[in-house]
Amino acid sequence: MSNVAEAHRGAGTARPVPEPAALDDKQAGHLRRIVDLSERLPDDWSGMLGRSTMQEDFGALRFQLAYMAYALALTHLHRLPAAPALFRKPFDSLIQKILSIDVWMYWHYVSTGNVRLNKGELPARWDPVAEDNIMYSAYVQSMALMYHYLFDDPKYAGKGALSFKLQPLFWGSGDRIFAYDEKSLSQHLYWMMVEKGYLGIACEPNCVFQICNQPAILGFRLHDLVYGGDLAGEVTEGYRKAWAEFGIRSPDGHFNILALEREHALVQRPPAPWADFWLGALMHAWDPEGVEAAYRGQMDHWKREGPDGTLWIQPYVPSSNAEARSGNALDFGWAAVCASEVGDTDTLERLLAYADRFLTPTWEDGAYYYRRRDEPMLDGRPAAMDPHTGNCLLGYARLNVPGGLRKLYAGPLGADWFSRPAIVDISGRPDIRAARHDPDTDELRVVLRPGRGGREQVGLAVSNVWGKGRSWRLAADGETVARGDGDGVTDAGGRISVQREASNLAISLPLDGEVELRLAMQP
Amino acid sequence: MIEASFSLLDHDGRRVGPETYRGRWMLVFFGFTHCKVVCPRNLAKLSAMLDGLGPAADDIVPLYITVDPERDTPERMRTWLGEHYPRFTGLTGTREEIDAARRAFRVFAQRRPETTPGDYDVPHTAIAYLLDRDGRFRDHFPETRSEAEIREGIAGLLASDAGHAGPPA
Repeated sequence: MSNVAEAHRGAGTARPVPEPAALDDKQAGHLRRIVDLSERLPDDWSGMLGRSTMQEDFGALRFQLAYMAYALALTHLHRLPAAPALFRKPFDSLIQKILSIDVWMYWHYVSTGNVRLNKGELPARWDPVAEDNIMYSAYVQSMALMYHYLFDDPKYAGKGALSFKLQPLFWGSGDRIFAYDEKSLSQHLYWMMVEKGYLGIACEPNCVFQICNQPAILGFRLHDLVYGGDLAGEVTEGYRKAWAEFGIRSPDGHFNILALEREHALVQRPPAPWADFWLGALMHAWDPEGVEAAYRGQMDHWKREGPDGTLWIQPYVPSSNAEARSGNALDFGWAAVCASEVGDTDTLERLLAYADRFLTPTWEDGAYYYRRRDEPMLDGRPAAMDPHTGNCLLGYARLNVPGGLRKLYAGPLGADWFSRPAIVDISGRPDIRAARHDPDTDELRVVLRPGRGGREQVGLAVSNVWGKGRSWRLAADGETVARGDGDGVTDAGGRISVQREASNLAISLPLDGEVELRLAMQP
Repeated sequence: MIEASFSLLDHDGRRVGPETYRGRWMLVFFGFTHCKVVCPRNLAKLSAMLDGLGPAADDIVPLYITVDPERDTPERMRTWLGEHYPRFTGLTGTREEIDAARRAFRVFAQRRPETTPGDYDVPHTAIAYLLDRDGRFRDHFPETRSEAEIREGIAGLLASDAGHAGPPA
């Protein structure tokens, strides 16, 4: 059996996949890029704007923000589980950004309908989640609930915590605020899903896309994980039945893209790589067998051999001027994400090798991404790069693990997750290349490298050390640097400062090269 | 989320709304008497669930609202329910009245083309809605919930309401 087949089989079974021990340079670079974009000042979208400026295309800001958040979640969960401090603030910032009116004001004109598919112009709407527009609302819902689940923080559960604010300086007759929270928004989407017979909630009026309902399903699952219940089970069962009439997949093995709500009719469109791989990457969370059954044929259909063992993806041929204006690398980006999710590591590596060679790879102060380029083809091969693919999707693919989203959907956080030692605060700008607590040995392992701050004094705050009545030992590169018990530090000295600070263990060290820290609780 | 309002005819031809049943809980299910699978399965499950509740079930009015008023006359509903699911009272009305009830409960129902003259399917939501003694929506039980789960959920709500005076004489 080939490596690809083994990896593929591994993604579809319960057999545990070995988790990587650390981030490599490019993974750390992608993570840095995502964190950088999350740290932009409010409404500074520099580096995130593509050719289409109206937030209509599939690389719009909402997609970048959401999938960067998903990538952070998967990286935290699977690669750096003991470093919540590295992810919590960026994730929260991405939620704040997706609430910006810059991201959702498109709805005021898109809600008037697509004349071709809606057969008429509808009244313009402001509230971006009240009706239809699941291509936005589900991302807000799933991000807020994912944040709650991963960081045990009910920040977005409070009344009005997810508010969509229209506050013009001079125009109109005052503010409009549409107030929701993670529960009310999820309930709202749930009942809309019920009203639609579980076929799905429309994006543009009357247009129900399979892809755009997957984040809502993920959101329902996260709602179940946070609050209990089985919304996701109900919705996915209803979804399967509702789409059975049309087929989730067409007879040729490609995913059907959209149905018309009012006409209850499938829209016949030629297959598209972005559609196959975007839907596959998301639906793998709750239907891994169905996705994996389709994936190999889809990948064989769309992949093309590149130089030196690389692979590229046959770009989708636009069928209209509007689509042509949004020229991008989304076919390629979603193929890489889907390959990562189903565990096709051979294809993933060959796609990433193509990107690293031909698709504007860029290092920028420790951040790694693919710079926008608008030329569609060079030397007969795809050359375009868009911000969504370059900032987010290829990073997502490189940071994901086989079945990464599926494992998140399964609800991996055990009862002791938040009581394990973990890095809850960081000072300085180190690269954290590993951060994992092994519950079997009760040892926290952290690997640090100088990051953007260069050689600097770095501080880590580690939670859940005290009150266990157990002694512990902290080692740096194998050498013991501190010891303690359940109440405090009993022995420390040298160049690494270790002390108790309130509920945390504070570690401060000069970082001038890679350091491995091991905090071992003694039996 | 759920307004839970309706103004319909019961299967004895009387005009009814939530206020008609005030003082008792209401268990509301939407469907149509020509339904071949979903309604029989769910009405049977809900009937068995009510049987399992014992005397507490006497405090609940099971209502079956049609999504197919063109075929489901009061007489048709009375006969069909009486033969198969006698705990339930059938409710019907004009198309407009039924659509208003559907919207209030956020129920999906979409008539499909006729397969043979006069024979058609109406895929519909399979959720049982529980309204309290004041006609307010309290909980819902999708088809995926087992008979035991529904019974447990309803029993819990009834128990939390144990101090209530009960139905008017």
